[in-house]
Amino acid sequence: MKSALKWEVLAKCSTTKARAAVLTLPHGPVNAPVFMPVGTQGTLKGLTPDQIKDLGCQIMLNNTYHLGLRPGQELLDKCGGAHLFQGWNRNLLTDSGGFQMVSLLKLAEITEDGVQFESPHDGSLMLLTPEHSMSLQNSIGADIMMQLDDVVSSLTTGPRVEEAMWRSIRWLDRCIKAHKKPETQNLFAIIQGGLDPELRKKCIEEMLKRDTPGYAIGGLSGGEEKDKFWRVVTLCTDLMPREKPIYCMGVGYAEDLVVCVALGVDMFDCVFPTRTARFGNALTATGTLSLRQAKFRDDFRPIEEDCDCVTCKSYTRAYLYTLVTKETVGCHLVSIHNTAYQLRLMRQVRQSVIEDRFPQFIHKFFKDLFKEKDAYPKWAVNALKSVNVDLLAGEES
Amino acid sequence: MSSPLRFKIQPSSLHADSAARTGELLVLNTEINQGDVIGGQESSKRTIQTPGCFMFSTKGSVPHLTPDMMRQQRYGGINVFLEQLLQPDQPASFSKWPSKEYTLANYLYLQDLILLCDSRDPSYTYPSLSPTTSTNDASTKRIGSNTDRHVFLSTPKGVRPLTLEDYLRVVRQYRPDIVVAMADNFQANNKTDIKGSKSSNEEPDQKKKRVQKSINRTLKWLDQILLERQGKDGMIEDRKIEEEKRRKREKREKRRTLAKEEQEQGQGQEQRQEPMQGKQCQDSGTNSPIEVSEIQTEPWMDVSVFAHVQGGQFEDERIRSAKETSERIEVDGFIMDVGSMSNAGSEKEKEDMFKFIQISLKYLPKEKPKMAYGIHAPEDILKAVALGVDLFDTSYPYQLTEDGKASLYFFGPNGSLSSSKMMRGAVGSNNRWLNLWDEGHSDKFIPILEGCGCYACKDNRHTRAYINHLLKAHEMLATVLLMSHNLYQYSIFFDAIREAIASGTLNQYTKEFELHFGVEPVRTNEKHQTQILVEAALMKRNQRLETAEAGVVDVIGSGVSLEDESVSQNFVNKRPISQSEGSEDSDRKKPKKSEDHDNAAS
Repeated sequence: MKSALKWEVLAKCSTTKARAAVLTLPHGPVNAPVFMPVGTQGTLKGLTPDQIKDLGCQIMLNNTYHLGLRPGQELLDKCGGAHLFQGWNRNLLTDSGGFQMVSLLKLAEITEDGVQFESPHDGSLMLLTPEHSMSLQNSIGADIMMQLDDVVSSLTTGPRVEEAMWRSIRWLDRCIKAHKKPETQNLFAIIQGGLDPELRKKCIEEMLKRDTPGYAIGGLSGGEEKDKFWRVVTLCTDLMPREKPIYCMGVGYAEDLVVCVALGVDMFDCVFPTRTARFGNALTATGTLSLRQAKFRDDFRPIEEDCDCVTCKSYTRAYLYTLVTKETVGCHLVSIHNTAYQLRLMRQVRQSVIEDRFPQFIHKFFKDLFKEKDAYPKWAVNALKSVNVDLLAGEES
Repeated sequence: MSSPLRFKIQPSSLHADSAARTGELLVLNTEINQGDVIGGQESSKRTIQTPGCFMFSTKGSVPHLTPDMMRQQRYGGINVFLEQLLQPDQPASFSKWPSKEYTLANYLYLQDLILLCDSRDPSYTYPSLSPTTSTNDASTKRIGSNTDRHVFLSTPKGVRPLTLEDYLRVVRQYRPDIVVAMADNFQANNKTDIKGSKSSNEEPDQKKKRVQKSINRTLKWLDQILLERQGKDGMIEDRKIEEEKRRKREKREKRRTLAKEEQEQGQGQEQRQEPMQGKQCQDSGTNSPIEVSEIQTEPWMDVSVFAHVQGGQFEDERIRSAKETSERIEVDGFIMDVGSMSNAGSEKEKEDMFKFIQISLKYLPKEKPKMAYGIHAPEDILKAVALGVDLFDTSYPYQLTEDGKASLYFFGPNGSLSSSKMMRGAVGSNNRWLNLWDEGHSDKFIPILEGCGCYACKDNRHTRAYINHLLKAHEMLATVLLMSHNLYQYSIFFDAIREAIASGTLNQYTKEFELHFGVEPVRTNEKHQTQILVEAALMKRNQRLETAEAGVVDVIGSGVSLEDESVSQNFVNKRPISQSEGSEDSDRKKPKKSEDHDNAAS
């Protein structure tokens, strides 16, 4: 199908499956691997578009479900899409709206037609079909839009998983057909199939025939064992064409990002950094600081010494201790730092891939974060071993 | 060594028909500060053009604005409040601060602004500060009464007393550009504050006594503070009294032990009078005059001192306070707190308020700056400026922001009252602001105010429709944008005031302003209908999440305050289990069997 993006791989890691690339979208270039912050309702938790831009963010997420309810399709059409609506002239990605149906399953019944749910506003029955999802996403105007997929929890087993996989393929066809702006918006397919390698293979085989501009690995990050999670990820990246971007949905913890890049994933998103910020938790290379703890009251260091975000340049942990969870400014400040942290992490990852020293980066990253090798998550050790990085062996030079 | 604060009145701004004047409040940067100037600016002074404002702050930050956003504003100063910043173990724990030279400006990252520090937030209504409040009034949470030795502060960790000694220690560490001398203030609008006795006849008398007492205390503290600022011992008299008390206590103790001993010795005998005699014998040795040695301290002349001018609703007391405070020539500026005069609810009370300000001003030195607390609405500012008040704070734009309102009012010729401009604002009955909660804005893809240079309006980037959406979505960017706009417009308003004073047109434009904008509608606690709905929905959602996540609630989102560490530790040990494909809902646990799903989307 048509594509409105350009995917240029600049460098490949000689050890792992990591790659550094430039993804050029209608609203400008995106350096991959990339972490995409989530602005659910057309805003990233109190940050202004300029602040987000200044952090180096090139692409942000919006949620179709939320924007569809408020401000609604009519207003989005009237103002010319979500970019204009929120004053953000860089790239946007929207999900299909289907995930919210699942996370609120009591509301939803899934049929071949689509997902039926009660309007949270007036209780009336609404139906989200692949066609409706495309129509909404066309109105939003996101640079990347996601197909409506039949999401099942990653803990589900049995025939329901296979049914969802096949239905997702059928819905992809309907999405492709309903997509009205393929020359300005890129539709990504979502690979389903649960934790079953055979189903995943089958799904990829079918979806590759549809030749969408990019692919996402769906149906993960739902509480499954991490050791199963990474095996599905690596299976998918193995089977997918290397000339398209691969997006792993809902991944955002630092160690997950680093491992998944090594497994060949290019794009990530998660609400975690901004959400945890509102509880006063600041992310750092050496772990999370819960700034509400009294031990920070007389700590006159910035959150991170070498961070160049507004928060770290202005304030100490001592002052932030008095603000977090009490003042909106406290939220904004920690959200700024956490977003800066995530984006910086990805820049560092990318640079190390370009300079072909990603394995060394991984070693240092894990050492900084977990200190002791005993503390390294076992799944991460296994995952990295599968791409020739042995965390438990001596550091590579 | 003199204080680095200057106040220069523009002589050309003085006109016969008005006490209004323009000027510049200026603080020369000390060398220490210069090395620390934000943004690499090399200016050797910081200024506020007057009439002008200090930015109002909560916990040392301008509400909703991160430091980068705050610096897009056009204000030269900020007012911060001790009671919002002071930790329970401070000043003792200042020893843990990086150094003696680490000031409040360093701590709050405000080195590039004129930093004014007062003890209390004047906008905070104290439930009770009066010594005469009836104790059985359970509905009023009492914070206690000020005494000769201390004032009470309402800190984030609860009410605490602040003694003058502690105050001085705090000032020595904080070193703000301007500190407001500790004052025994109380609020006139707090009925329980004054009305101790139920007999209404006694009331004015009691009130007056309380006012007199507060003036005396405040002046005494002011003298002590001014002495201490020069490195002299301002506390020596207090220590003498302490010493006297200590001796008396000692004597009493001795007497008691003696009496006990004698009683034990002479059991059964009639010796009731003897302990007294014994005591007198003992006394002669300790009756020497009380001597307390003077303590030399380091002066802090780099800090300027503003003083509260008081007097409540009593003309003679206002005059006394103004006169006596003026006699302390080291005082650099004066503050009048409207909250202590009236609650300015009715027209009459407002009139009185300006009368009281005028009385105070009459007895204060012309050449020094005067600041007013509690005068917020544009038309009130205009009146106060005409009386000669120089400085205000930005409570008004903050209040508008909290209400979801966006400024449209303007002053002077710039705003030439063209009908087009007026019409656009005309939603509802007034045209001084828009209420962006109003559903009518949901499809208005135009900026709040065309041509406005604030962050929100600039380049037509953020529309009324978007802000309406943000409010309804309970997104914090709403107040960021509103605050940016409202603060900016307030500064433009003051620009226009200064221009009008300079050109002698203040009265003329003031009349025009009143004609076109009327008076600020009385601000009630009533919320906008939409806001009530949104908040109710959020409440429900958070209640559900609370059960799901064992007490971890989105505090800012819900507006419910939580207490510290217990919760946060909970949270950190327990990362959200699921991550999501970008949904705000999904990293929370799925709602349990709750029937209540109707707000799931927000």
